[in-house]
Amino acid sequence: MNQKVKKWVLGALFLFSVSLQAQDYNNANQLEQRLKQLAGSSPDVKLESITKTDGGKDIWMLTLGKGDVDSKPAMAVVGGVEGAHVLGVEMAVRFAEGIVKDNANVLEKTTFYVFPNMSPDATEQYFAKLKYERSGNAKQTDDDRDGKLNEDPFDDLNGDGIITWMRVEDATGDWITHPADSRVMIKANKGEGEKGKYKIFTEGRDNDKDGSFNEDGEGGIHFRKNLTYEFPYFEAGAGEHSVSEKENRALLDFLYTKWNLYSVFTFGPGNNLASPWKFNRAGASKRVVTSILSEDADLNKFISDAYNKTTGMKNAPASGEQGGDFLQWAYFHFGRLSVGTPGWWAPTVKDEEGGVANKDKNQEVNFLRWAAQENLSNYFVDWKEISHPDFPNQKVEVGGIAPFKMNNPPMSMVGDASKKNNDFIVELVGMQADVKLVNLKSEAVGKGMTRITVDVYNAGTLPTHTQMGTRSRWLMPIRVEVKLGKDQEVISGRRIMTINNLDGDGSQQFTWLVKGNGSVQIEAGAPHAGVDNVTVNLK
Amino acid sequence: MKRYISNLFAGLIMVGLTLPATSFAQNADEVFRAAGSPHNPKVDIAFNRYYTAEGLAEISKKIAAAHPDLVRRVSIGKSYEGRDIWMLQVTNYKKGVADRKPGFYVDGNIHSNEIQGAEISIYTAWYLTENFGDVDYITDMLDNRIFYIVPTINPDARNNYMKEANTGSSPRSGMMPLDDDRDGLVDEDGLDDLDGDGSVTSMRRKSEYGDFIVDPLDPRKMLQIGPDDITTAQRYEMLGSEGIDNDGDGRVNEDRPGVYDPNRDWAWKWQPDYIQRGALKYPFSAPENRAVADFVLAHPNIAGAQSFHNSGGMILRGPGAEEDLATYNRADLRIYDAIGMKGQKMLPGYRYLTVYKDLYSVFGGELDWFYGSRGIYTFTNEIFSSFAYYKSNNPDRNQSYDFDQELLAGDAFTPWATYNHPTYGEVEIGGFKKNFGRATPGFMLEEELHRNMAFALYHAHHMPLLSIDKVTEKDLGGGLREITVVIKNDRMMPTHASQDLKYKIERPDFVTISGVDVQAGMIVQDLDLNLSTEQKVDPAKMVLESIPGNGIVTLRWIVSGKGKAKITVDSAKGGVITN
Repeated sequence: MNQKVKKWVLGALFLFSVSLQAQDYNNANQLEQRLKQLAGSSPDVKLESITKTDGGKDIWMLTLGKGDVDSKPAMAVVGGVEGAHVLGVEMAVRFAEGIVKDNANVLEKTTFYVFPNMSPDATEQYFAKLKYERSGNAKQTDDDRDGKLNEDPFDDLNGDGIITWMRVEDATGDWITHPADSRVMIKANKGEGEKGKYKIFTEGRDNDKDGSFNEDGEGGIHFRKNLTYEFPYFEAGAGEHSVSEKENRALLDFLYTKWNLYSVFTFGPGNNLASPWKFNRAGASKRVVTSILSEDADLNKFISDAYNKTTGMKNAPASGEQGGDFLQWAYFHFGRLSVGTPGWWAPTVKDEEGGVANKDKNQEVNFLRWAAQENLSNYFVDWKEISHPDFPNQKVEVGGIAPFKMNNPPMSMVGDASKKNNDFIVELVGMQADVKLVNLKSEAVGKGMTRITVDVYNAGTLPTHTQMGTRSRWLMPIRVEVKLGKDQEVISGRRIMTINNLDGDGSQQFTWLVKGNGSVQIEAGAPHAGVDNVTVNLK
Repeated sequence: MKRYISNLFAGLIMVGLTLPATSFAQNADEVFRAAGSPHNPKVDIAFNRYYTAEGLAEISKKIAAAHPDLVRRVSIGKSYEGRDIWMLQVTNYKKGVADRKPGFYVDGNIHSNEIQGAEISIYTAWYLTENFGDVDYITDMLDNRIFYIVPTINPDARNNYMKEANTGSSPRSGMMPLDDDRDGLVDEDGLDDLDGDGSVTSMRRKSEYGDFIVDPLDPRKMLQIGPDDITTAQRYEMLGSEGIDNDGDGRVNEDRPGVYDPNRDWAWKWQPDYIQRGALKYPFSAPENRAVADFVLAHPNIAGAQSFHNSGGMILRGPGAEEDLATYNRADLRIYDAIGMKGQKMLPGYRYLTVYKDLYSVFGGELDWFYGSRGIYTFTNEIFSSFAYYKSNNPDRNQSYDFDQELLAGDAFTPWATYNHPTYGEVEIGGFKKNFGRATPGFMLEEELHRNMAFALYHAHHMPLLSIDKVTEKDLGGGLREITVVIKNDRMMPTHASQDLKYKIERPDFVTISGVDVQAGMIVQDLDLNLSTEQKVDPAKMVLESIPGNGIVTLRWIVSGKGKAKITVDSAKGGVITN
C-alpha cells in the first residue's frame, strides 16, 4: 500500500471511529466499557482498578507502555480531579486512546500511568436526574457541622432538572446585573458608589431554617480538597484530615511506589500551562514553602511557552488552584514536574460594534456571547419569577448559566481540544531527561592501574530533577556506580556517587583510578531519568 | 461485703483459669495496705521491669479477664508487622452507656525506644480496676468517665528496641522499611551488636592521634583532651556507635530499620519530609497512627488525651511548630496552664513546657492533631530525667557513673573489651547499655508510673461533668408554664474547647424537653434582668454551642400541657444527662 492510500485508509478509519464515539460525556459504566475496549485493543495497554470509592465506583488506572514499563521514565496523566469538570475525564481517556492509536512509538521511551477519573462519585451527578455541579464523593459528611446529615440539599424549585441560581430583589443585597448582559450577576462596586439590589443564592430552600441555603446536601469530600498542600482545615468538602479518602490514598500509595515518575499532568481547573506559576522570594524561602522555587519557575515558563505555542489557545481564565488540590500537591509535596490545564475554555468573543463592551472581561458574559455565536442550546436558564416560601414578600427569580456548560464544551468540540493537548504532551515527554554516559576515556597509568574518565550527560531538554525534587526523599538522585569484578579495586574516587540534578544538556565529569584486569561496568542514572551503562576494558 | 466476696470469688475463678499459679492474689491476712496502692490485687504485676509487646498484650488480657465489668479489651488495628494494637477500655460498664461518657485517651511508646509509656498505661488500667469500689475518687472516675488506654502504639519497634541491636535512642522509628541513604536498597546497613551484650554501645581504638584518654580514676569513663592538656597516657579515638559497613558503601550504620518518625505523621499542619524530617507520604501513613486516628474520629466523646514519651522530665503542650502559634488561643491555654502547673507539682523534676519554644519546632505531632484537629486538650510527658538519680536539680557531671555504681550495682554499663573489627582492626567496645539513660531504672519505676498516672487522672478529672442542677416551674396562667433549667458543669473543661468552637469541630450540645408542648424556648443570659435569646426554630431541642467549664447555662421554656417535663442534655464530650 502506498503511503498516500495508507493515510487515507487510516483517516477514514479514524473518522469512522469518531462517529462511533458518544455524543455526550461518559458515565461510569460507559467509561468502564470504553477503557476495557482500549485495553483489549493493544498489548501496550493494561487496565486495573486501584480501589473502589465509598460510592462503589472503581478508580481506574491505565498503564501505557512497552516492555519493562516500570523502569522507563514515566508521566502520570490524571483526569476527573474536579467532579464538575467531566471534560477532564474525557481528555484523559482521549489522551490514552490517542497515544495508542497515533503515537505508540512514544512508549519506547516513556511510560504513562493514566487515571481518567479521580471523582467518579461526583461526576455521576452530571448524568443524574437532578443535575448540579458536584465535587464531593459519596462519604457522609456534616458539612455545616451542626449534628445533622444532609439536611439542607439543593431544591429544584423550577422543576427543570438542573440546579441553577436564585436572585432575590433586596436592598440589603450586594449584587447587581452586569452592564453588558443583564442576565449576569456581579457584585456591586461600593467603592464607586454602586448599590447592591439583589441577594444571590443557589437554587433551593433553607430546609433546616438555619439561615443558610443548601449548605449541607449529599456529599462528600472533594478529591482536590483532600491533599496535603495547604489543606483547607474544616472547610466543607475537605475532610477531617488530608488524604482521608480511599481514592486519594490509593492514588498516592501508587505514585509513591513509582520511582520512575518524573512528571504529573493534570486535566482540571488548575492551569499553570497557559500561564506559569510565579516565583515569590518570600514564599520560596520560608520553611513551609508557598512559592514555586526559582529554577522551577524558569522551567514552568519554558514549558508554558511551549504549551501556548503548540495549542494556540489564548486568554485562559484565571487558574483554579485551591488548598488541598492535586496539581499543587504533585509539585510542592511530591516534588515532580507538575503541569495542568483544563484542556479547553471558551474562546474570547470580540465586542460587537454597537453593543455594550464587556469591559471587565467578565467570563460569564463572554461565555454567553460565545455560546450564542456557536448556537449552543440549554446553556442558560432565563431568570423566571417563582414564589419562594423563605421569601414570602420578595421577588425571587430562578435562572442563570446551566451547570457544567461553561467548563465542559459540547462533545463536538472536544476532539480538537484533545488533539492540541495530546500533541503538547507528546512534545513534553520528548524533552524528558535522558541520562547518558559519554566521552568515555580510559588510560593506562601503569602497575595494573587504569584511569577512567566519563561524562554523565543529560541528553534531554528538561532537568533530571525539579529544584523541589532535589529536596525530596521520594525522588532518587542520579547514581553513578563503578561495578567491580573479582580482584578489582577502586584506588581513587568513590565507587558509588550521586548527583542531585543535571540540567537539560548538562553534564558532570567523573574520574576513577581502578586497579585490576578485565573490564568494569559503569552505570549512571535514576529510574525517572533513564539509566545508561558502559563497559570499560582495563588497560 | 457480699459484693466483695462474690467479686473475689469470680476473680479467683477467672484468674485461676487464665493465669499461672504465681499470679494468685495473696491471702488477705498476709498483707497490710500501703496508702494509695491496691494491697491485694486480682492481677499481680511486677512494676520494676519492662515488657515486650507480647508481654503487654498478655498483661492486658489478664486485667480484662479479672475485671469483666470494668474492662473491654479490643484491637483497634494492626501494626505494620501485623501485631494487634490493644486498647483497654476502662469504665464502670454497669453504669451509663460506656462510649457516651466523657472519654480520656492514653497511649505510650509512639517512639519505640521511649518505653515507659506502655508501663504507665498498664499501671493506670491496673490501678483503676484494682481500686474501683475501694477508693471513691477512682469509683467516681469510672462511673463517670471512660478511659481508652493503648499501652503501645508502636509494638513492632518496641520489640525491635528490646530484642535487636539498639542504643537507648534507637530505633525511635517504626518498622516500615525505607531507603535512608537513597541508594535503592532498604535497611541494608543497621547498627550491629558486635559484642553480643544486647546493646549497641561505643567503639574506641587506641591511636596516637586520638583526642581521648581513659579516666585514670574510672576506667569506664573517657576524658576529652583539651588544647592545652599534656598527657602521657594512652590516647584513644572514638569510632561511633557499634557497627560495621554492612553494604560496603564506605559508610557505617547509615540505613537502619525504618527510619521515619511516627510523631511527624499526624494530620494537623502536616508537612512533607523535606520540610519536616521524619514525615512519611501523607498523614497517618503509619498504620498504627491511622488506627488511633480512626478510633478517635469515631469517638467524639474523647475530651482529654495524654501521650507518654521519654526523656527529660517534661509536661509538654503544643504548638509543636512556631508557625502554628495562633492555634493555641488564650481561653484554652488557661486550662492547659492549670493542668500543666498542677503536673509540675505532682511530678518533681518535671517542667511544664511548650514544644515549639522549649524543645524544637516541628510539624505533624500527635498532641497537635488531638488539639488542633479534634479540640482535645492533650499533653505529652517526657518521662524521666537526670533529676531522678539523686533527686537534685544540680546534677554532678559524673552522676550517671556514680548512680550506676552506687545504686545499680554496675548493671548499667558494659565494660570496655577488645573486639576485632573488620574495618577498624582491634577496637574496644563498651559503654552504657540501652536500658540506661532514658528508661527509668527498675527500682524507681513504680513511682514514675504512679506519678504520671496521677497527673493523667487529674487531667481526666477535669473533663466536663454535667448535671441538671435546678429545674423551677412557674405558672403563667392561661395554661402556660415557664420552666427554667440550670445546667451545670462542675469541672474545668468546657464541652467545646475554644479551638473546637472556632471551627465547629464537634456538633453543638443539645438540650431537649419532652412530655410537654413547647411554645417557646430561650437561652437565659441574665435571670435577674430577664435577658434571654429565643431559639426560633425547634425550641424543644435547644442548641448550645458549649457548656462552659466551672459554669452554668440557664434555659427557659414556655410550655403548655399538663405533663411532667423530661429534660435531656446531650453533649458529645460532656455525656448524656437526664433529670
